[in-house]
Amino acid sequence: MTEQPGDVDPAGENVAGEVPVAEPEAVTDDTTVHDDDVELERTIGLVGGLAIGIGTMIGAGIFVFPGLAASNAGLAATLSFAIGGLIALLVALPTSELATAMPRSGGGYYFISRGMGTAYGAIVGLGLWLGLMFASAFYLVGLGHYASAVFSELGVALPFSPVIGIGLLFGAALTALSIGGTENTAKIQNVVVGILLVVLTGFLSYGVLDAVGVFGGGTVPEQFFSRGYFPVLTTAALVFTSYLGFAQVATVAGEIKQPGRNLPLAMVGSVLIVTVFYVVTIFVATSAFGADRLGQFGETAMVEVARDFLGLPGAVAILGAGLLATFSSANASILSASRAVYALSRDALLPRKASEVNLRYGTPHVALLSAGGPILVLVATGQVELLAEVASFLHLIMYGLMCVALIVFRRRDPEWYTPSYRVPGYPVVPAVGALASFGLIAFMQPASIGIGVVVMLVSYLWYRYYAGDVTLKGDI
Amino acid sequence: MTDRPSILVPIRVLEGESIPEGVPGLLANAHVILLGYHVIPEQTAPGQAQMQFEDRAIERLDEYETILEEAGATVERRLVFTHDGQKTIDRTTTEHDCLAALVPNATGPVEDVLVAVRGAVGIDRLARVVAGLFGETDVSVTLYHVADDEETDEDVETLLDGLVGRLRDSGMDAARIETRVDRDRGALDAIVEAAEEFDTVVMGESDPSLATFVFGLPADQVADRFLGPVLVVQREPPQQTDEPTS
Repeated sequence: MTEQPGDVDPAGENVAGEVPVAEPEAVTDDTTVHDDDVELERTIGLVGGLAIGIGTMIGAGIFVFPGLAASNAGLAATLSFAIGGLIALLVALPTSELATAMPRSGGGYYFISRGMGTAYGAIVGLGLWLGLMFASAFYLVGLGHYASAVFSELGVALPFSPVIGIGLLFGAALTALSIGGTENTAKIQNVVVGILLVVLTGFLSYGVLDAVGVFGGGTVPEQFFSRGYFPVLTTAALVFTSYLGFAQVATVAGEIKQPGRNLPLAMVGSVLIVTVFYVVTIFVATSAFGADRLGQFGETAMVEVARDFLGLPGAVAILGAGLLATFSSANASILSASRAVYALSRDALLPRKASEVNLRYGTPHVALLSAGGPILVLVATGQVELLAEVASFLHLIMYGLMCVALIVFRRRDPEWYTPSYRVPGYPVVPAVGALASFGLIAFMQPASIGIGVVVMLVSYLWYRYYAGDVTLKGDI
Repeated sequence: MTDRPSILVPIRVLEGESIPEGVPGLLANAHVILLGYHVIPEQTAPGQAQMQFEDRAIERLDEYETILEEAGATVERRLVFTHDGQKTIDRTTTEHDCLAALVPNATGPVEDVLVAVRGAVGIDRLARVVAGLFGETDVSVTLYHVADDEETDEDVETLLDGLVGRLRDSGMDAARIETRVDRDRGALDAIVEAAEEFDTVVMGESDPSLATFVFGLPADQVADRFLGPVLVVQREPPQQTDEPTS
């Protein structure tokens, strides 16, 4: 309930003569308060926050990656997922502190632009927007794989691979759905995540019992590091896309109730929950088939694992769950991307028009289209691993810089910086988080790094051209 | 003069809802909490809607504020962009400690008011609303109670006489107060039917139960069926304000 004066007001104007929107006067548990008694209601609770985090993360990590990861790293892929989870946790803790100090829409972009200046903010903000597009495209291609598996399960033989076509179709449908203003999207997300967790818990419990020999299966034949040590790290870099969801929670930080309590719980909680699920899943999957055969099954390896354990009903259940999971991941990412556009245009880094709200449906149609359009182009490439890595790259840059921003804030210590959650082990945790985030990039394919660097460079040039005068540093 | 009762007037400010005819007169003696709110879908950040619609909404609220003040009310106002209108209304009610909320419908000049009395619970707040709004006017007030089987005539008499006494104590002319009792009927239908002869209904908010969860609060149902404005007296706010986590 405290008034939180900023130390510097955002200032300057962009090429179109737009200035950043004034900052709110106060942030309470229920609202963001602007002058003249204008309030923005906070309506997402802890369950909603967890659903956003888990719903985004679980689609990729469990349903798309097991085959790819196992063929890269063998059984040690479990370790890759654990490493990814650890890095995500090291970043989620500092992010929680920043989010409770600045519970505003935009997440990482907001913290970095206020902590380190407009240039960093622009690179991260535009990078986040594009990163979310790459992530959505990746989820949609995964969805395409699952939907095609449904066809082959039904015995429908298609003369061509429908993966990309289905991905495009769903991408367009999701964009149209969000623009049309579907009611209760958050409630649907909660239900979907609930169903997923129940299905997976049942399936994994059975799988673990089977893998350790309770049902006589007992096949853990492999050596742990069957592919050596190095692939563990490259695989960790690849599968890190699975952990992008906690940052999506931060992009809706302005809408979370009791942000001081619910933001850290939702971010850290969702990372911990999905890490456990991932590690167990990879363990079960590699135990069932061994890394080689699992790798041959590709993106829908989980269906074969379920078939092996539980026959056709198992395969059908996992197919359904995979469709739901990849769908909800893609949906959450498209929505986050439109939140990122809003945050950027609020700060005059993108045209104000970009976040315009459609009068008829009340939805930000320009932002949604500008996310949905490029996503379709990316889906059309069909490059699962490349899309995943570029998304990871852009997010890892943001994660590393968020950790740096936290250290900057703590050292500068402005009057308004009063987070209700403080990261334990400062400055070691954020420093290690930053190093780990930047370090993981080194293990990516050169192509992914190249595309990521180009995106950052273009973002910077756009900022210099469009909004070189805008100053954002310092305010809340 | 009695204290002005604080009355919440929620208006969906950008969807054409406005202060209906007759309402400013009804609220002349009230302290009005004018809540302009705009419900936006979940895919839109509330701030996005604010950026675009704030000016227009403020313009309308200015207009309504003037109308209410000209009628004699004192006005405090909020403008809220929200995903969840009910949460906004509930929160504003609590924060401003509103005695009652208005379901705005048009009415002619207010001459007679039906006050649905449910039981002894909440009767203090009911009395404050009625006395505050109508104490110094020539509006005639009818206290109406639908008794159930277990209530004796004496119980009902004690209840209604108690309320009459309270109203008189706060300066109302007893000649303007009538009482009316019905038996063996569904309270809801009875109230709606009786209300037809009146300009305005004042009633209490009942406790949430399974039935209200399914069919909506009785006050809402009355408001749906009665064409005039309904003043819903709010429950006593709970002592601790800890929100349940959801």
